[in-house]
Amino acid sequence: MNDIPQQLVNGLTNGSLYALIAVGYTVVYGIVQLINFAHGEVFMIGAFGALSTWFLLFRDNTSVWVLPVMIAGAIAASVATAVIMERIAYRPLRHAPRLAPLITAIGISVFLQEFVRLFYGTIPGFPSAKSKIPFPAIDGVTGSPFHLGSVVIQRPALFTMGALLVCGLFLGWFINKTKQGRAMQAVSQDPDTARLMGIDVDRIIVIAFALGAALAAIAGVAQGLQNNNIDFKMGFMAGLKAFTAAVLGGIGNIQGAVVGGLTLGVAEALATVFVTGAWKDVFAFGLLILVLVFRPQGLLGARVVDRA
Amino acid sequence: MSTTVDRADGANSPDSSAPAPAPRATGKGVPLAYAGSGLMTASALMSWCYDPDVLGDLTLYGNPAPVQLTMLVLGLLGLVLAMSAKGPLRRLGAGLDTSRGAFRLGLGAVAYMALTLAAITAQAGGLVNADPGAWVALVGSLVLVVAGRLGVSRPSRNIGAMRAKGWVEILVLVALVAIALLLVADGLTLRDPWAFVLLLLGVGAAAAGLAGANAFTWLGVTASYHSRVLTLAAFVAAFAFPLTQNGSDANMSIATQVIIFSATALGLNIVVGLAGLLDLGYIAFLGAGAYVGAILSGSAFATIDWQPPFLVTVIIGALFSALLGLIIGSPTLRVSGDYLAIVTLAFGEIFRLAMFNLDGNNGPKITNGPNGIPAIPELNFFGFDFGVTHHLFGIPITRFSNYYLLLLCVIALIIVIFSNLNNSRIGRGWVAIREDEKAADAMGVNVFGLKLLAFAGGAFLAGLAGTIKAHHDVSVTPDQYQFLESAFLLAAVVLGGMGTVGGVLLGAVVLKLLPEKLRFFSEYRLLIFGLLLVLMMRFRPEGLVASKRRKLEFHEDDEHLADKVQTIHLEEKTS
Amino acid sequence: MRLRSVTTVAASVLATSLVLSACGSRGDNSNSNSGSGGGSGEKTATIGVIAPLSGDLSALGLGIKNSVDLAIKQANQNKMIPGWTLKLDAKDDEAKPDTGANAATALAGEADVVGVVGTLNSSVAQNVQPILSTAKIAQVSPANTNPALTKGAAFATAPKRTYPGYFRTCTTDDVQGPFAAQYLLEKGIKNVATIHDKKTYGQGLVDAFTKEFTAKGGKVVAATTINPDDANYQTAITAVKGAGPQAVYYGGEFPQAGPLSNQMKSAGLAVPLMGGDGIFDPKYISLAGGAKANGDLSTSVGAPIEELAKGKEFQDAYKAAGYAEPPGAYGAYSYDAAQAIIEALKTSLASAQDAQSARQATIDALGKVSLDGVSGNVAFDEYGDSKTRTLTVYTVKSGAWAPEKTGEVK
Repeated sequence: MNDIPQQLVNGLTNGSLYALIAVGYTVVYGIVQLINFAHGEVFMIGAFGALSTWFLLFRDNTSVWVLPVMIAGAIAASVATAVIMERIAYRPLRHAPRLAPLITAIGISVFLQEFVRLFYGTIPGFPSAKSKIPFPAIDGVTGSPFHLGSVVIQRPALFTMGALLVCGLFLGWFINKTKQGRAMQAVSQDPDTARLMGIDVDRIIVIAFALGAALAAIAGVAQGLQNNNIDFKMGFMAGLKAFTAAVLGGIGNIQGAVVGGLTLGVAEALATVFVTGAWKDVFAFGLLILVLVFRPQGLLGARVVDRA
Repeated sequence: MSTTVDRADGANSPDSSAPAPAPRATGKGVPLAYAGSGLMTASALMSWCYDPDVLGDLTLYGNPAPVQLTMLVLGLLGLVLAMSAKGPLRRLGAGLDTSRGAFRLGLGAVAYMALTLAAITAQAGGLVNADPGAWVALVGSLVLVVAGRLGVSRPSRNIGAMRAKGWVEILVLVALVAIALLLVADGLTLRDPWAFVLLLLGVGAAAAGLAGANAFTWLGVTASYHSRVLTLAAFVAAFAFPLTQNGSDANMSIATQVIIFSATALGLNIVVGLAGLLDLGYIAFLGAGAYVGAILSGSAFATIDWQPPFLVTVIIGALFSALLGLIIGSPTLRVSGDYLAIVTLAFGEIFRLAMFNLDGNNGPKITNGPNGIPAIPELNFFGFDFGVTHHLFGIPITRFSNYYLLLLCVIALIIVIFSNLNNSRIGRGWVAIREDEKAADAMGVNVFGLKLLAFAGGAFLAGLAGTIKAHHDVSVTPDQYQFLESAFLLAAVVLGGMGTVGGVLLGAVVLKLLPEKLRFFSEYRLLIFGLLLVLMMRFRPEGLVASKRRKLEFHEDDEHLADKVQTIHLEEKTS
Repeated sequence: MRLRSVTTVAASVLATSLVLSACGSRGDNSNSNSGSGGGSGEKTATIGVIAPLSGDLSALGLGIKNSVDLAIKQANQNKMIPGWTLKLDAKDDEAKPDTGANAATALAGEADVVGVVGTLNSSVAQNVQPILSTAKIAQVSPANTNPALTKGAAFATAPKRTYPGYFRTCTTDDVQGPFAAQYLLEKGIKNVATIHDKKTYGQGLVDAFTKEFTAKGGKVVAATTINPDDANYQTAITAVKGAGPQAVYYGGEFPQAGPLSNQMKSAGLAVPLMGGDGIFDPKYISLAGGAKANGDLSTSVGAPIEELAKGKEFQDAYKAAGYAEPPGAYGAYSYDAAQAIIEALKTSLASAQDAQSARQATIDALGKVSLDGVSGNVAFDEYGDSKTRTLTVYTVKSGAWAPEKTGEVK
């Protein structure tokens, strides 16, 4: 029982990661009512983008100034993937029956995983991605942990939580203060009227995809630092959990994604303490089903569209 | 069977039943078509390759190897098309779009020859090894393409209204089924991946030609008139399949897996295809059945020491599965669409994790966790041991053949249930829910009850198949029932055509059989699978074999199709 | 009869093609295989391999295939079995039981197949065993550690051999676990936490370890499990950290063990992690963070390869053969497995007419094989398990595994 404070910290760390990814689900859903199932893979590609940047530019250099460049590389890779995906696979299906984009998303998800697994190692100088690849331990954000009484707070955990804070503030500013952000809100409330008001809906959708991808990329870097390794499968479970978080907070609601992520992380950690670690995923999925059935609008509530 | 309807229909479009008018515009193409298909036919009797080790000895004159026989068939098909454009088969030509058929057939043949030449280049080390025959075939195919191009396509011909004597039609259908059986039996024995791909391509070329000539329209109509005969013939062929294997299990073990997969996909088809409820955790129902089958099998690893007769186990397994279906179906009262898909996906993961954790370590010892339950004994029906080889008229029926025949009965049952449901009050209720839930509710359809029934019914069938699968597989482990397997099942349904039996069977066969036969490809299997899903949704969301109604859903703006669907409905009413 | 002409033409076409395909038989020289090396009238026997040749585990599977290939090539070169040429037939199981069963049926259907090396996964072995055993084909696994595969369901209390044709060159969990326990106690480590991945291998290892460790006076202060699909083990680490263990004993494989060790040390639990041969892999060290892994321990079967003349030979020959993939964790065991089969074939093929009739004799001869292999002495006990009791403890020193202590399990 005296693990509780430590498990809470673990939970908040994981929760921050879920929250960063969940924003991507929620932003896209809020605007096109599409569950972008392949978002977990965008997160994975972010992590590989960061690693590739490091291999190409810095190899063996782990100074802290490398990190921003790696993050930029991660964001570039993720955003490019998400935008191409939207353009090629989702846009043509915008008026198709709901089944079509969901199946497409599963297809993209499998394709991206396999693509990374098969071809990452064929780039000269890159390790094979068929098994886990060690992620560089960047100075400053990894290394000796901080102690707070009996509680250990690791540097990557701080980085993750800090990233969530910064991204959250940025999102708040972007959505409420910029023209693009307000256009996003308008489209999410009523796409047809928004179009009539001169908003380029296609463009806004692309921005939504890009925004979610950028945050997922940062999450990818955070996960790499935290776990010291990345692999092509990392997106599946993370994506599912993040989706759970998004639903928990109320899908379509950005604050909800953050709250949902942190709640899910903490709930899982507590499940580890009180039940057992082996059942924590079952616990998370059980929670997902309960929320979907009894409070589909989530904790913070969201516009619930008829999803028939 | 109403012959009056189509006679009346024929009367509406007099040009199809009257003797064909002289095909004015096709004149230029016809001699070329004769020449092209003649060359193709002749090439099969020539040597194609200098090296006897490539593709089963193509070096002989007047003695075609299988690869050349395929070309012979394509050439003869071209001749038939040419003859029906201008020649002894003009009556047939009245309904066929011969030009388009010749064009597509030619294209297919060109692709076939290109791949053959590629195989010769790769295996014999250079294009120099190709003999004149191969070039003649290529030229012939190209000529046929040109011939098809020169002719004028006449897509409006109503071949569907052309009828032959009943027994002739039945004979044609039976012959087609027999050919299909022989092709499958023959194709499966091919060990050279090049030859296998070539056979596929050859069948594809023939199909493209026939489809281009609208022959499939006739076939479709004829098949629907004689659907009982066709179904019966297909089943007889399927039952005859083990007899063609000569006691070898290599293909039978694949065939049984294909059938288990097909049966499960058909169960999923009830949920997704008929009721329109997307289920992403369906494999869990198969798993539930398999686990029940394993635990009650009397295996030394089973955790419950009770071995009821197998029929009881089957019923328990199917009922347990159906119960899970009810549980997972109950949220449908409040959840639908994407959310439902996620609920089912979460359920599937919970099932797998639960099987993983019920190992005595993290929970009660029921499933042995990741190690699963191995050493499941063979089935034994009243002394008939499924594990040993039996003999039927001196032909050996091996272990896998035993299971194959049993599973065939199961799949027959599922198909009967499926097609009866499809045309029943329940089936129409499902379709109504699928199209518009609120409207259905307003019309007095018991929406919740029917949805539950879909889930429970689909789960029941999967559970039933699962209990047999446990014995067939000899062991049951949790990682056989992961999300990717559910995705594969869904892909089979989507690829083949939601809501159809034939389509789903086709999808299941394609997804299970091809990876086994194209082993050299296995590293890229999932990559292609993912790509295929995306492309299908983009270009042919209704699947390979689409039910007309489904097709309309995906192509709402296609008015021609809408008219067609309406006509079919009217016809259904009058007949 | 509007379509009479169609019918006539169809019939004639059918008849023509029948005649064409019937005229003359195509000589049966088609099954002469180009690879058998110059038709000296030698008979062929095939050794099959069933392993994951594609997918996540393909690195290990290809290592198995290559090592068997090497053994077969050497046997052919040295004319080990006079009058016979050996061939390799490697089948992919994708690490899936279903696919493994297909592979086994295909091999069982080939008349030439006399023995099979494989599988990698115990779960696949469960499906392959009955098929190969019905066909009386000897199976030697380089990697299955599940004791039930040889000793049946009640392996601990009432061992009973279920498949007489099944052997393995790797050791089972009940040899490695105790060896590790004895080593730790010798080093004065009395308080240990255990973690495993719940798979047969990991759980069996931890169970065997715990039994020996507590019996000899040690104390398991915390025990927990991880889900091998996870990548973050903080919750498990937190769960054992509070108990203050002096070492962590991990049952499982390197893809999880490396990150676990790394994350343990990041979380301030700076004690050595010890595991079985599943973590004895260079990749473990890179995943565990290089220098951070110093002091971590593993056990592996046999004396260190570098110290054995045979081991050196194998490594050199493998390199010389120029395979694209490294031998991997199971290369040496696979090479030994193939050698054991070849050794048995020396007896069984000597008087055999064809390969198929020698199948049962091969199984009988395998039980009596005893040879000096790469991983030590290769011989099987009455259940088909390896008799080897020699093990080595390795430790990570400056980024590489270094032998620490070699000994026999008591």
